[in-house]
Amino acid sequence: MSTLSFEASDVPVRADLVEAHQRAWAAIAAPGTWLTGERRVALAAEIRNAIGCAHCARIKAALSPNAIEGAHDSLGVLGAAEIELIHRVVCDPGRLSERWSQSVLARGLDEGEYVEIVGVIAMVMIMDTCTRALALPERALPAPREGAPSRYRPAGAKKQAAWLPLVEPEDAVDADGPMYPSPKAGYIYRGLSLVPQSLREYWTLANCHYLPGQYIYQFDKSIRAISRPQVEILAARVSALHQCVY
Amino acid sequence: MLRESMQITGRQVDVRGVTQGFGDDVDVPHAAALVDFAEAVVLRDASRAAAARARLRAALGEAGLVDAAAVVGAFHGFVRIADAIGIPYTTAAGGRDVPELREEAGIDDFYRVRVTD
Repeated sequence: MSTLSFEASDVPVRADLVEAHQRAWAAIAAPGTWLTGERRVALAAEIRNAIGCAHCARIKAALSPNAIEGAHDSLGVLGAAEIELIHRVVCDPGRLSERWSQSVLARGLDEGEYVEIVGVIAMVMIMDTCTRALALPERALPAPREGAPSRYRPAGAKKQAAWLPLVEPEDAVDADGPMYPSPKAGYIYRGLSLVPQSLREYWTLANCHYLPGQYIYQFDKSIRAISRPQVEILAARVSALHQCVY
Repeated sequence: MLRESMQITGRQVDVRGVTQGFGDDVDVPHAAALVDFAEAVVLRDASRAAAARARLRAALGEAGLVDAAAVVGAFHGFVRIADAIGIPYTTAAGGRDVPELREEAGIDDFYRVRVTD
């Protein structure tokens, strides 16, 4: 298994995309804010494992996700709350609820851990989907790096607009580090703001796949090899298939 | 975002295609091929994806194929952050995602099939 995302590609891949994957996998292997590098790499392994979970398939097929009893097919490394969070977010994200998110937290996860795990899920899903779309094999998981999580919680974080606390742009302080491309950044930018490091890692990766923030509302420009309407057709259809109202 | 990117060039789009799928009648080059590619990747249909990839490569070139794959990947991340954190959609598309548009596109039907707990 390769340690380079696009090594086997038979089409040229732009350099910034290759570098973004390398940076993101290195970030996943490093200590986060609440999780060690070892735990973050274990998350990545469970994220990939969740795709084939028979229990998740039954939940996905059921009228109500809460009607199905049973256990996820896990790798057995992580705790029950982490496994539930990973499997449901990976396999059936369109039917999550605030009550479900609170039940996951009540099983022993800190809010910062929850948000950091969601960030790792999103990053792994982006990279694995991109390479799979190009018929490339999964990249080998990186070796975890040693070190202690920083355990930094932004002072301005508050639970108000979303299920988890956010840092609104006006509440961000210098100690949080850079977070938003503009004071009007939408909620999708604020989603991971309880863990600023995760927010930065995620957007560094996502911007290379979609569009950097300064181009989002420049609808008459395209910095990609496909036009903006072509980008948005793909975006809208993928979101709809995931039943994502956003 | 789709509607805005169309309107800026004086074109219209039937937003019902977001939930029902787009055909070749939409005024975006290779829209049907793009949608077929996106659906094949989301549904993890390897043989359909292979055919869709070849079609896109012929239509858009190698760089276009790579960028299409990148966008499909990106939205596998965005949806998970939005849905797992429970962010409100009042700022979606810069606030242009109004209730009438969601109804017209069929997005409100997601709620009608969703069973809350």
